[in-house]
Amino acid sequence: MLKKLLFAHKSNLQFVFATLGTLIGLTSLLLSAQLILDVQSFQSNEEELFGPNSVVIQKKVTKLTTIGMNSTEFTPEDIKGLEEKEFITDVAPFQSSDFKVGISEVEGDGLPHFYADMFFQAIPDRFMDVKNTEWEWNVNSEYIPIVLPRDFIMIINYGFAQSQGINQISEELLMAARLQIYINGNGQKTTKIGRVVGFSQKISSILVPEDFLKIMNKQYGNGNILNPSRVFITIKDDSYGELEELMEEHNLDINQSAIDVVKIKTIVAVVIGIFGIAAILIMLLSLLGFIQYSQLVLSKASYEIRTLLRIGYAVRSIVKTFIKQLSLTFGIITISAIGIMFAVKLLVINPWLEDHGISIGASGITISLFIGIISLVLFIVANYLNISRTVKRLGNE
Amino acid sequence: MIIELNSVLPFPLAEYPHGKDSVWKSNSTVDSSKKTLLNASSGKGKSTFASTLYGIRQDYEGTIKIDGEDIKSFDLNEWIELRRMKLSAVFQDLQLFGDLTAFENLQLKNNLTNHRSEERMLEMLDTLGIGDKRDQTCKTMSLGQQQRVAIIRSLLQPFELLILDEPFSHLDEENSRIALNLINEETDANKAGYVLTTLGSHHGFDFDVELKL
Repeated sequence: MLKKLLFAHKSNLQFVFATLGTLIGLTSLLLSAQLILDVQSFQSNEEELFGPNSVVIQKKVTKLTTIGMNSTEFTPEDIKGLEEKEFITDVAPFQSSDFKVGISEVEGDGLPHFYADMFFQAIPDRFMDVKNTEWEWNVNSEYIPIVLPRDFIMIINYGFAQSQGINQISEELLMAARLQIYINGNGQKTTKIGRVVGFSQKISSILVPEDFLKIMNKQYGNGNILNPSRVFITIKDDSYGELEELMEEHNLDINQSAIDVVKIKTIVAVVIGIFGIAAILIMLLSLLGFIQYSQLVLSKASYEIRTLLRIGYAVRSIVKTFIKQLSLTFGIITISAIGIMFAVKLLVINPWLEDHGISIGASGITISLFIGIISLVLFIVANYLNISRTVKRLGNE
Repeated sequence: MIIELNSVLPFPLAEYPHGKDSVWKSNSTVDSSKKTLLNASSGKGKSTFASTLYGIRQDYEGTIKIDGEDIKSFDLNEWIELRRMKLSAVFQDLQLFGDLTAFENLQLKNNLTNHRSEERMLEMLDTLGIGDKRDQTCKTMSLGQQQRVAIIRSLLQPFELLILDEPFSHLDEENSRIALNLINEETDANKAGYVLTTLGSHHGFDFDVELKL
């Protein structure tokens, strides 16, 4: 009966607008949160190898460099400078082999005969996202794990193989076959067996485990202490802008395709972020709409409220009647928003992304539930405060 | 319940001259075990007196104490508790809910304390001659009928003091007498008393105390 009495003069139009606004706002907010998560979980093959947000930087080779007047080495001061940058979370200079390296096939493993002079480089293991067991190396290991640049196999298959009349080789075959490694330096020679465990687009180096390189440099090194010429860095999410600035400032070079992922992620995150902020604004406006709606209902029912208080009805039972009704509305809005959000994501966005060749990790419902509950609580608390204040004011009039 | 008034004067009445025996600007007492008649002509502040005792108006000087406590110190919740358990009232403007039926208006009040059974409520409607109006919305009833609904409503709670502000203004002598009988019956059942304000006619009312304004 209280409900009948208090909602007798409710304004339906205002209610519909406030409800629609909240529904649209909350759905957009959930959608943008979910999409930001999805973008963060977006993975290219590269990142499976090195973890997200890692790039290799090097100094640009200029005319001065060629005639020996400008070094591309990173001095210890340069490295320190990078470490101090706020957006860079990790810095690792490349270590290079200080000995000669040659590679050939192991007969009978299916590779055509070849021999190539090479070099080895290494970065700390924490940057390597290859399966641990594959990347592990110690002196007793059967073979040396190697990561090759993806371009390497391209050159072999589409240039070298054709011109030399040898068979093309697939990534799978190369990874299955063993490689003979010839090491020559410090007046000594040795041979080892290597195995390709991954390919990289980002790093045009032949990578071996850091421990292996250290031991080999000690034993076969010619004693040159070299400053690194390339540095592997990990940057924070969405800090593409700062990275670009840094590159400009220090005349640095970076493989453009390698930063595409970082770049796309940053741009998408910014766009979705703006969408999200708009969604929050819509939410706040609809919250105001709801407060206004309940204010209107309260003022239209002011006679009833005042009289109820005069015949002995407690403030809280009147407030409860309003809040119960509004909570029910908000609850339905929240559940609908989560439902619509998932429907849009599963039926529209995911198929679209898949059609465009972007695979995204499955994201959970947790964040949506969290945001939904937060806004539900916010709406109920804001309306509760407003309603109980107004009811008390009417009671004291 | 003892209500003491010490030099009370509502601000709107400050301009009016008040007689020596007036409640205003003097010390008087309302005892809830007694039946009090407040007889005064228009404009002397009968309704002001009723609403001030009921805590609706606080625009006065002087002090009013209920059982020794200054009523200005009561907050809204204390007033509500008082109005639920100790003080009841028939307002001059009735304060019924026009969109609810007569019976719903009664239920709304009775639901708070379950003071009387539904049968008893129907019986009271019958007694006051509006039993056939129970399902009619109050806004469609005549003032006299509404007045009787308001009187019954005021009896549907435990009380020590009932404040009746011109409760019979729209009733004829016969209906006033019947209503007064019902009020007396319920007041006695509650071991309570009341203050009845009236414009001269005392409806054959057998009062214990008379106050003047």
